[in-house]
Parts: sequence; structure tokens; C-alpha cells
Amino acid sequence: MGARDLIQTFFLGELRQGLSVTLRYLFSPKITIQYPEEKTPISPRFRGLHALRRYPNGEERCIACKLCEAVCPAMAITIESAEREDGSRRTTRYDIDLTKCIFCGFCEEACPVDAIVESHVIEYHGETRGDLHYTKQMLLANGERYEADIAEARALDARYR
Amino acid sequence: MNGQPNMLSQEARARIDREVAKYPTDQKQSAVMAALRIAQEEQGWLSNAAIESVASHLDMPAIAAFEVASFYNMYDLRPIGKYKLTVCTNLPCALSGGVHAAEYLKRKLGIDLNETTPDGKFTLKEGECMGACGDAPVMLVNNVQMRCFMTPDEIDKLLAECK
Amino acid sequence: MLELEIDGKALQVKEGSTVIDAAHQAGIYIPHFCYHKKLSIAANCRMCLVQVEKAPKPLPACATPVTNGMKVFTHSDLAIKAQKGVMEFLLINHPLDCPICDQGGECQLQDLAVGYGSSSSRYQEEKRVVVNKNLGPLISTDMTRCINCTRCVRFTQEIAGEMELGQAFRGDRAEIMPFIEKTVDSELSGNIIDLCPVGALTAKPFRFAARTWELARRKSISPHDGLGGNLVVQVKHDKVLRVLPLENEHLNECWLSDKDRFSYEGLNSPDRLTKPLIKQGGAWKEVEWNQALDYVAHAMRDIVKEHGPDAVGAIVSPHGTLEEMYLAGKLMRGLGSDNIDCRLRQSDFSGRRAGTPWLGMKIAEINKLDRVLVVCSFLRKDHPLIAQRLRQAVKRGAQVSVIHAADEDLLMKLAGKIIAAPSQLPDRLAQITKAVAELKGATCDLSVAVGAEARKIAESLVSGQNAAILLGNLAQQHARASTLNALTQQLAGYLGGRFGFLGEAANSVGGYVAKAVPAGDGLDASRMLTEPRKAYLVIGAEPELDCADGVRATNALTRADSVIVLSPFKSAAALAYADAILPVAPFAETSGSFVNTEGRVQSFQAVNRPLGETRPGWKVLRVLGNLLKLDGFDFASSEAVRDEALGGGAGKPEFAGDLDNIIADVAIDLSPGGGIERVADVPIYFADALVRRAPSLQKTKDAVTPAARMNAATLAKFGVKAGEQLKVSGGGTPATLVAALDVGLPDDCLRLAAGHATTAAVGAMSGAMTVEKA
Repeated sequence: MGARDLIQTFFLGELRQGLSVTLRYLFSPKITIQYPEEKTPISPRFRGLHALRRYPNGEERCIACKLCEAVCPAMAITIESAEREDGSRRTTRYDIDLTKCIFCGFCEEACPVDAIVESHVIEYHGETRGDLHYTKQMLLANGERYEADIAEARALDARYR
Repeated sequence: MNGQPNMLSQEARARIDREVAKYPTDQKQSAVMAALRIAQEEQGWLSNAAIESVASHLDMPAIAAFEVASFYNMYDLRPIGKYKLTVCTNLPCALSGGVHAAEYLKRKLGIDLNETTPDGKFTLKEGECMGACGDAPVMLVNNVQMRCFMTPDEIDKLLAECK
Repeated sequence: MLELEIDGKALQVKEGSTVIDAAHQAGIYIPHFCYHKKLSIAANCRMCLVQVEKAPKPLPACATPVTNGMKVFTHSDLAIKAQKGVMEFLLINHPLDCPICDQGGECQLQDLAVGYGSSSSRYQEEKRVVVNKNLGPLISTDMTRCINCTRCVRFTQEIAGEMELGQAFRGDRAEIMPFIEKTVDSELSGNIIDLCPVGALTAKPFRFAARTWELARRKSISPHDGLGGNLVVQVKHDKVLRVLPLENEHLNECWLSDKDRFSYEGLNSPDRLTKPLIKQGGAWKEVEWNQALDYVAHAMRDIVKEHGPDAVGAIVSPHGTLEEMYLAGKLMRGLGSDNIDCRLRQSDFSGRRAGTPWLGMKIAEINKLDRVLVVCSFLRKDHPLIAQRLRQAVKRGAQVSVIHAADEDLLMKLAGKIIAAPSQLPDRLAQITKAVAELKGATCDLSVAVGAEARKIAESLVSGQNAAILLGNLAQQHARASTLNALTQQLAGYLGGRFGFLGEAANSVGGYVAKAVPAGDGLDASRMLTEPRKAYLVIGAEPELDCADGVRATNALTRADSVIVLSPFKSAAALAYADAILPVAPFAETSGSFVNTEGRVQSFQAVNRPLGETRPGWKVLRVLGNLLKLDGFDFASSEAVRDEALGGGAGKPEFAGDLDNIIADVAIDLSPGGGIERVADVPIYFADALVRRAPSLQKTKDAVTPAARMNAATLAKFGVKAGEQLKVSGGGTPATLVAALDVGLPDDCLRLAAGHATTAAVGAMSGAMTVEKA
């Protein structure tokens, strides 16, 4: 140990240095987000809660092609299809098990009609495991609720697709 | 064709049989084109019943006769007017005014292709190559009379002739 | 042999081969749509264009015959460019609707577009739209997707025998259509769904139900006609959703009849039982299996104790598995009774059989026959694919003659035809026999006068090298079936040809093999009902519809003290006469074997789990045997049952042994009958319990409610016109039916279909009828 170190130790040099950092940050602007009052910005490509969209005329987009079900690496999607009265191909069941889902976004990418999308919603929960089993009705309801947000995100991302 | 009445006249059937006799006995259906023509001459046009009658007379499936009847535009699957004008719109004719001739006729008669004038006089049809590309545009009147170099003036003349 | 080189690979092919055959032989794939090995060559899709050395332009591989020293390049720049060009043309008018297309995932166009299509289209103009056609309840159409390969047209023309589809109009307006307002009604129509390389023709019952990749594929065997068609049963979530053919050149080739293809819908019928039922105090109660089996064992033991073992009879469906039949026979014999039969629609059991009656030849040998006499068969409806084989034989020059009670259009050229009332058929067959004997210079003791048509048929038969006589279902169900059998035997002897039976059901031959027929002096299917028993064991059958005399069957069963039914389905009739109904698995849910009409033993596994509490029939019978404390009921698997049934050695022989059509001790009866005779066909979709419950098949034209059909003279005799009401009876309750004109019937004959609820109460399938104006 040299004389220089001795002086440092005696006058609490490292402590001062440390405290000066504290002092500097005490007066600098804060970056902590006060969630849930404040939120971080989210990319248009963010992959949150799933939703099934409808066309502006109210017709559901999904045509039961089952590509999302086929591509899903976590096998979280279950679809059953049938012919609707008007002869069109529709799902009779469209379930996503969110406990299985890994939010990879493949379903969105596979969808030829932009029916299944991942919205920006991250604030949802389930109190039992079954609560995270989203049915077609729930997913369509999500779609209706967040359509404005979803459409905006699609529009922003359109030129990169 | 169980028990369904054959709508061809005795005479037409005799004429068809004369055509059938030109082919080997086990190949009656070779006479289908002639038979359809005879049926059309008698009926004016080829209704489904007429096609079915021809088919049953020749012991062939009705759809096979319909294939032939629908393939050639000389056969009319709908009633036609007194004069049927068939305009060739195949490529050589089209390049030499065939399409214009058709347009001119449409305007003049006030009908579209495959339509008949309200007075039942003219039917306009689009035709396939008539083998006279050098004389384009060509037209066929009632499947038999061919008219060449059909400029608007010629067309007017033709229409005036058709009374 | 010709030598050629494909993609640098030298090989030898048979004279007359095409380039695509040669490529196939060399294991080289050439993309194609319109080419199909079983159909004629159309060469209209142009997808198989290949480069041939010294040819200035690419040539279609399917229509180019191989010449010696030919050099073919299937993947050269020129070939690929040509194929890509064709693909671009094909895609011009093809809609981009793969996501909603049922063919998606199994579409040849989709697959090849990945390899040969470009990523975007240069075509900017309007695409064409083709109006969909109504092809009936089985085939769904999306004609805009059609690429006009004409495989379906060629199929209806060449294989199904009747051109029901055609390509109308021309050029870019060409479209595939049936004749105006017609549907496709062939009993083989479903095959055009498989043939269609795109999604233009898809299965209506399967429409939008599942994607190909979701389905588990499992092999099985058809439980319907005697052919034993090989199936690929496709299952999702323990539910059969589709049935496709499994290629087997010996049997079904690459085809399947509509009955085999669409009968699976019956498996999901609401009539399916899920729990054992017992009738207690007149009311049905669902019980557990142990209770039900105890009840059944007690009931049987009591009847045997009280009335002796002979008071029990077993009625076994010929559509059941070999294992079920064998265990049923073993159970009955364990109880001391020989009253068991599976030949339910037959009524003449006289004569002594030397062995198991069968086809008398391999099914594949039918194609090689050059002279055939078909005796009393509704061939097209009873044996659709055997009819197809005969049709191919006729095309190659075989002469087929027919002797029958109804003039059915077999969609093939016939060399001779005798149509006579059922009672006169033995006489007519005797005439042919006598005529053949005369032509062959043999002595024949039949005293009949040979008619002109019989002589014509005889002349046709003796003129060939490889003749055969096939006895159809009506010949087996005939009131003098043994006489027909004996005459045929005699006729085949004179001809030096073969003869055989077209098996009525999937396991008609198996019934003999499994000894589900009386072995000694037991009662046969007919006597079991004419001499009512105290107790009946009914396995898989619906006797009111499946027996030769439904009325007698219903009466006998209603009067019996105890009726135990083993069936996958409940029916109003069974609920009325049965005391216990045990739910046993249909073919898709059990392992087992069928012995088809050529004696081929085909075993299969269950394709899905049994519905509810349903159990495989062989297991139920095994446990029943245990409960009745019978010996030899300790089987661990259906294979063990099969091995014992087939006589010993472990492992499955390819063919059952002891196949022999010879019959002896038959009193030949050629006397004509009188009165109005019934001609009973079993329409294709009323033939067994499963197909009767397949809703789509029930909507077809082959499944219309039976009418009382007569020829014009007979109708006039009763003063009725077609469409009027008639009262018809044949020993049972008179039924009121609609009269219909059938010009193909002989005089004094009434054609009335069996196997249907409206005619079940009328009476026996053969014999005299009373007819009056209603």
C-alpha cells in the first residue's frame, strides 16, 4: 500500500466518490416509470394479448384455414370448422390457451386475412388456469374492444410488410 | 331417356339415319354433328330436349352431344332471330377490323353479342376463324352465307338486304 | 423391350410405354395433372412437358411413346421453362382461395405451384368465374378452381361406365358440367373427388370439416360388400371424418365405391348406443357392463335349463367380423345348440355343400375372363367394383351375358340377356346349360326346350377360352338357390370354366369359415324363424330388415322369451323385441378380420376408441363365454380368436382353406311359378345397419323410398298408372306404396326393394304377392 492509497483511505475518498454519484442523481431528471399511471411506449409490432378481428361490416375475418393452428409451435390454438348456413367456411371453435402460448407471433404472420392478431394489451390476468383459455367469443370481444388500436398498429407497420 | 318422348319428327329421324348409315354400325355417334344440324334446322335452335333426343337417337350420353353443341357456334343453344350474324373476332380478323365491325353492328342494332333485336330480326354472335383471314373482317349470315371485307358501308348494305 | 435414357439414367421399358411410364419406372417424378394410370391419356394439362433429344419442342411425357434410343431430360432448362410456363397459364384463372379450399394441403396444383409457380402473377385482367354445379349430395363443387384436366369426365366415361360429366363450351369458356339439371348418380361417383387434382370437386359430407394434416390415417377393411375394399380411415379426436381408398391391385385397385367411402357417417349416428340397456318391467334402463352381462348369462342359462339348448338360436350379421362369428358359434355350441346362421337373406339351404362357397377365382382374375355369365345379380349396386372389373374386361373383348329377373343397365355391352320371372330362372338357366351341353356334344338329362336367347348365350359362352359363371345376390337369395347352384355347377362342368358366388356381404365367406352356419342338424336362418325359438342371440343384425322374411323374423323375436341384441345401434324394432341390448363396436372401433368373396383373410385394427361404453364384440362374447363357464374362452387377443377360427396355426394365412362351391344332393326343380312374383333387390344404401344410418348416402337417388315397380302390362292388369297408390302384401301387413313403371321387368313381376322400413312388413323377399288398387 503506497502513500497515495493511505491518504485516500484516511480522507474517505471512495465514500465521497460514491456519495457524489448519489448526490448527482438526486438532482438529475428521473427515468422511473410510475406504472400503472405511466407507461412505456410500445412498438407497433408488439405482441400482446390475442384478438380476432372483424371486417368493418361486422363479418368476422377468420375463415378457418387453420394455418395458425398448423404453424403454432406451442400447439396453443385449437380450431374446429364447419360450413355456415350461408355456405361459407367458418370456425365453430377457436381457442387459444394462453398458458401454452409463447407469443411468437407466428399465428399473426400465417394469417392470410389478418384475422388473428396480437394486440398491445398486456394487462390481463386469470385467477385460475382456465381463465387464460381464451375462446372464440372472448377473442372476438378483444378484437372489437381494441380494433382502433390494432388498425393503427397495422397501418404503421404496413410499409414494412 | 326412359320413356321420354323423342321430340324429333319422323322426317328428321329419317334424315339422321341417312347420316348414321355413312359410318360403321358400332359408331353411330360419329353422326352427331350432322344430327344436331338436322335437329336445329327443324326446331330453329337446339333446346336441351332436342339435344337429348339427338343423343338418345344416336345411343350416346346427352352430355356428349351437349359438348358438341356447345363447342361450335353454328349451333344455337337459345332461340335466334331471323338473321344470325356471326362476326369473326379471332386474331387476324380482330387486327383487320373485326372488332370494329362487331362494335359497329352492336351500335347499329342496339344489342350486345349473343342477343337478339326486340323485333326478332337479328341475332349477333361472335365467331371463330372462318378460314378467310385475308378477306377480314368476315361475317357469316345464318351459318351459310359468308361475307367478306365488312366495312361499315358493307355492313349497312348487308343489313339493308336482310328484310 | 426398348432402351432409353432419362436424365442420364439408362433403362429398358416395355414396348408401347410412354415417357411418363418409363420415368415412373426409373423413379423420376414428372409433374402432371391430367395423367392418371387407370384412365385414358388426354394430354391436355401440358404440365408433363419434357425435353426429348432431337425434338424441336418440349413433348408431353404422358402422350409420347418411348422409341429406341430416346434421350429424355425431365429437368433440363428447356423442360423446366416449359413446365413453369404451363403453370403460369394454369394459375391465370385459378382463384387464390387456398385458405378456404378443402383441397388445401393435399392439392397437386398447390404442391406443384410451390415448385413451378412464380411468386407473383403477371396477369392483370379479370379472372373467369364458373358457376358451381349441383352434382348431388356427395360431391361439392367449386368450378372456378377447375383446371379442365378432364380426369372426372374420363372416369365417368371409362370406369363408371356412364358419361355423366362432360366438358362443354370451348376455349377459355370450357367448363366441366353434367347435362343440364342432372346430378352424378353413379355408385362410384366419390372417386372423382380423389381424382380431381385441385379443389374443384370435394366431398360434401367432409366439407370444411378438417385439414389433411390434422387427420390420423389408419388402415381398415370395408365392412360392406364382398370385395373387402382396403380403406384409409382418417380420424380426428376419435371421430372418423373421412374414408379414402388404400390402393390394392388385387381388390379395389385405387377406387372405392360410394358405399365404402361415405358409410362412415353412420359411425357418428345419433342411433349409436353408449351403454348397455336392459328391459326391466317393460322399461329400458341403462346399466353397467357387469350387470348387463350377468343378466344375459342368467337369461341364457335359464332358457337352456328350462327348454333345452335347442331353444336358443343365434342370428349373426354377415357384416360382422370373423372373430365375432367364431365366438358366437363357439358360445352356441358350448351351450349345446347348433342353431346359428349368418346367411340371413337366403331361404333355400337344401343340398349338401362340400366346402365354403366363394367366388371360385381371384377377384383380379375377373379382368382376364373372356366369357362371363352373370346369374341373377344387381351387379352394379351389389358389387360396384366387380362390375367395374367386368366393364374393363368387356372393353378388352370379353363377352358378358346376363340372366336375371330385372333388366338392369350394367353400363357395358352384353352378348346375351334373358330376363324372366324369378320362378322361371331355373328353367332358363337349364336351357343355357342344355344348349352348352349340346354345343359341346355332352349328354345332358335336363328336359327343357332351348330358346333362341339361351342358345345365343350358350354360343357366346362356348366360343371363349376362359369362361366363368358368377352367381349374384339374387341367385343366393332365390327360393330355389340350390337348384341354381347345381345347374351352374353342371354348366361350368360342360364349359370347362369356373363358377362362383359374388359374396353378399363383407364376411359371407367368413361366416362359413368361422362356422357361423349350422355344422350338423342345427336350424338355419330360415328354420330358426319358421320354428320359433325361446331365446335369440342377435349379433350385429337388424333381422326385421336383414332377413329373408322380415315379418317372420319380427314375429319370432317378439314372441321369444328372451332376445339378446349385440349391436352398435339402437332401433325402434330392437327396443320393441329385445330384452337386453349390448353396445358392441362397429368395424372402426374393433380389431377383427373379414374373409372376402375370394377367400382372402384381411385383418384390421381399430381406428379409434369405442364410443362411450361400447366394447368390441369379440370381447363381449368372450366374457359371456366365461360367465357361462364354457371351456376355451380364454383368448387374450382378437388375433388368437382368428388363429383358432382359421384352424390352428398362429399367424394369418392369406386365404381361407376349404373353399369349394360344389353342391350335391340337390333336387333340381324347374317348375314355373304363378301369380305375381316379387323381385326383391336390396338397394345399395339399405344393405346393412351402418349404411342405413349414413345421412348423405340416404339423400342419393339410389336411396329413394321403394316403389312398387311393374312393367306396363302388369300395371295395366291392375288398372293402375305409375304414381298411383297400390296396396301390396306378401304374407305380412299390406303396405300402401306408389306404383312405378319399370320397363325392365318381366310380366307378372313386382319389384319391391327390401331392407327398407316401408317394405319390411310386407313379407318375404321372394314368392307370390297380392296387389290391389288402394
